[in-house]
Amino acid sequence: MENDQKNKIYEEQFLLLAFISVVTFKIVMLPQYLVSSVANNSYLVVAFMVAIEIMMLTVVYGTVKNGSILEQDFPKWLKGVFAILILVSSVIKSTVRGSEGIAYIATSLYANVSWTFITLALILVGIYIAQKGAKVLARSAQIFFWIIAFACVFFIVFSNIKLDPLDLMPFKISGELAVACDKYLMWFGDFTPLLLVTVTKSKNHGKKRMAVWTLFAILGAFLLTVGVTILFICTFGEAGELVGNAFLNVSSLNKIFFMIGSADLPTVLSWLVMYTIKFSMIVYAMSTCAKFFFGDKFILSIISGVIIYCIICFGIGNLNTNYALDISWLRYVAFFIEFLVTIVAYIAMRVCQSKKEKQQNNIPSENITQQNLNQTDELQGEI
Amino acid sequence: MKKPRIVDKKWLVIAIIIVSLVVFSVLEEQKTVSTRAIVLAISLDWKDNEYEMGIQVLKTDGQQDKQEFITYSTTGTQMTEIISKLSQDTGGTVSLCHTMALILGQNLLTKDNDKAIRFFVENEELCNNTMIVASKGSPLEVLSAKLSNGQGGGYYIGGMLRNIVTDLGVIPIIVKDYIKNRYRIGGCVYMPCVSVEKTGDTTFISVKESFVTDGHNYAILSENATKGLSLTLNKLKGGELSYSFDNKMGQVEIVKTSADIKAQKDTATVKIKAKLNDRAYVPENIDEKRSVEALQKNVKSYVEECFKTCQEQGLDIFFLGQRVYAQGKDFYMQSDFLENMQLKVEVDITMK
Repeated sequence: MENDQKNKIYEEQFLLLAFISVVTFKIVMLPQYLVSSVANNSYLVVAFMVAIEIMMLTVVYGTVKNGSILEQDFPKWLKGVFAILILVSSVIKSTVRGSEGIAYIATSLYANVSWTFITLALILVGIYIAQKGAKVLARSAQIFFWIIAFACVFFIVFSNIKLDPLDLMPFKISGELAVACDKYLMWFGDFTPLLLVTVTKSKNHGKKRMAVWTLFAILGAFLLTVGVTILFICTFGEAGELVGNAFLNVSSLNKIFFMIGSADLPTVLSWLVMYTIKFSMIVYAMSTCAKFFFGDKFILSIISGVIIYCIICFGIGNLNTNYALDISWLRYVAFFIEFLVTIVAYIAMRVCQSKKEKQQNNIPSENITQQNLNQTDELQGEI
Repeated sequence: MKKPRIVDKKWLVIAIIIVSLVVFSVLEEQKTVSTRAIVLAISLDWKDNEYEMGIQVLKTDGQQDKQEFITYSTTGTQMTEIISKLSQDTGGTVSLCHTMALILGQNLLTKDNDKAIRFFVENEELCNNTMIVASKGSPLEVLSAKLSNGQGGGYYIGGMLRNIVTDLGVIPIIVKDYIKNRYRIGGCVYMPCVSVEKTGDTTFISVKESFVTDGHNYAILSENATKGLSLTLNKLKGGELSYSFDNKMGQVEIVKTSADIKAQKDTATVKIKAKLNDRAYVPENIDEKRSVEALQKNVKSYVEECFKTCQEQGLDIFFLGQRVYAQGKDFYMQSDFLENMQLKVEVDITMK
């Protein structure tokens, strides 16, 4: 029961977590890799894939508004399969995607420090939040939302946007785009951790306000991911293939950077917050799935953290290995799981719901039949 | 059900302590500001198959009035090796992330295939607002020049260029502009061309011309051609345009300019719109219509000179190839595409 409570989040919190899920990993190294593949049409790949991701998130919402997939009335074996698949996907995502953020912190924020320190700090936070449950995760996201909002306002106010069609044209839909979509699948489909929360109706927001927030979240996620890619292309052109950390480089070239230098602190801060929450979300998914088999033990969160730590520090260790893993066959595994589990969970939820409804409909009719039989017996007795 | 231990507040405290300890141990690994040699400007050239790199650092000795610009230089075949040599010379870790200006030699710009620049970009060694200039003579000489105002040459260039970003004249460019243009079709980059000048006892840096290269060929644009370049490729908000007729000299201030470039198979059209005001200096009894005509003629000649100088060297200064590519056409690939290109310049002047 306590477990149920700590994984319960409100609709607005779900929106925020979904927004963070969609945005976080797509604005760091992905624009650089995409530019090296499809040059100035990179934004089309991002737009297409993000649109699919947003559609899938509506399916996720439709599923978890009835409860976490591990707490719904599915057959136990199906829940077990879901748990194993999400566990596998989370291990891949937390290590391969996680190390990209660690590389950024270790090389760009600090001047080439060891990954071990950064990973350790991050893992501790991840384990802590994972153990506390989705409620704490969502609450943290809600508290830090203002940093993200401030960074966005700061960016818009001081941005030095020069959208030149020369950099974005020609608009070409070709097979290369499909190849790029396939090559960079690892960056898309980060929604399975959200299947492990229970969404409840918002207490503070009415239906209309929630609709407005939903619209904001969808537009925000779409504009931020596609917008950063477009700005990146307009800023660096095809030379973007040399430039990592897209969001940072784009935001630091603002109106005041000649006066006081690259005022990129708000962007760095907001991205770090999003990254920590996103990373904790994946650790949470890992430990929740492990707990499904071994019970609610704190040690499972620690083991999850230790596994991620070892893979990131001793298995991956640098950005080149990370990239090789990103574009390896692992991307198909992760992507397949993300989509498969989401769709199957939704179908299973609908089947269970209709079964329940049937059962509920059957109960009164059985009662009526029994009553009729009793009445007939009574009448026969009287006769 | 028993509450998991992690929920206890003591765990939260422990986690915070561990995280802060880890973060501080990371910081400990970093060099403090006092042990860093903060580089203000860099000079880089390619000589005898080696890089020659110079750095300018500021030593203050804790007193504002005792500022001394010191230049260190060394040579080497690898950038990492050079930076480590310079670190030894300065006695601290060389920190390039505050570099205001990168002064490049003509040899480096035309013979290095951008290896050095790629090193700076890929390793995020320089900050995003580092200005790039080409040196007419030795870049080390420009860097180490002791100017009459007491400033070091490199530091002066970095500061000065920041103030003239939208003025008529040289177009200040930063590292990202350089690499962006190098990756465009034609790979043509332009940058201010600097030189050390002496008049009597006064030493100063001249920044009136522009250097244009595609990595192999190069051209140096005169002061007038440089004006044509900035009128075509920059959105100006300052500077003065001069003109003359009937032996009278006049000058007008630039309020705003913009340009539109269109490329077709054999013709490129540059349309310049300029909003000017006559507050600067206008001779008495002057006819506005005639002065506008004189200004139009001047602007046209500046742009044509710029284009012609570059065209002769095979340099696509107005990115015409890229513009054709943006239209989805491919005739920019023809070998004589630039050679046969005719330039049409239209100037629309509005006096305020």
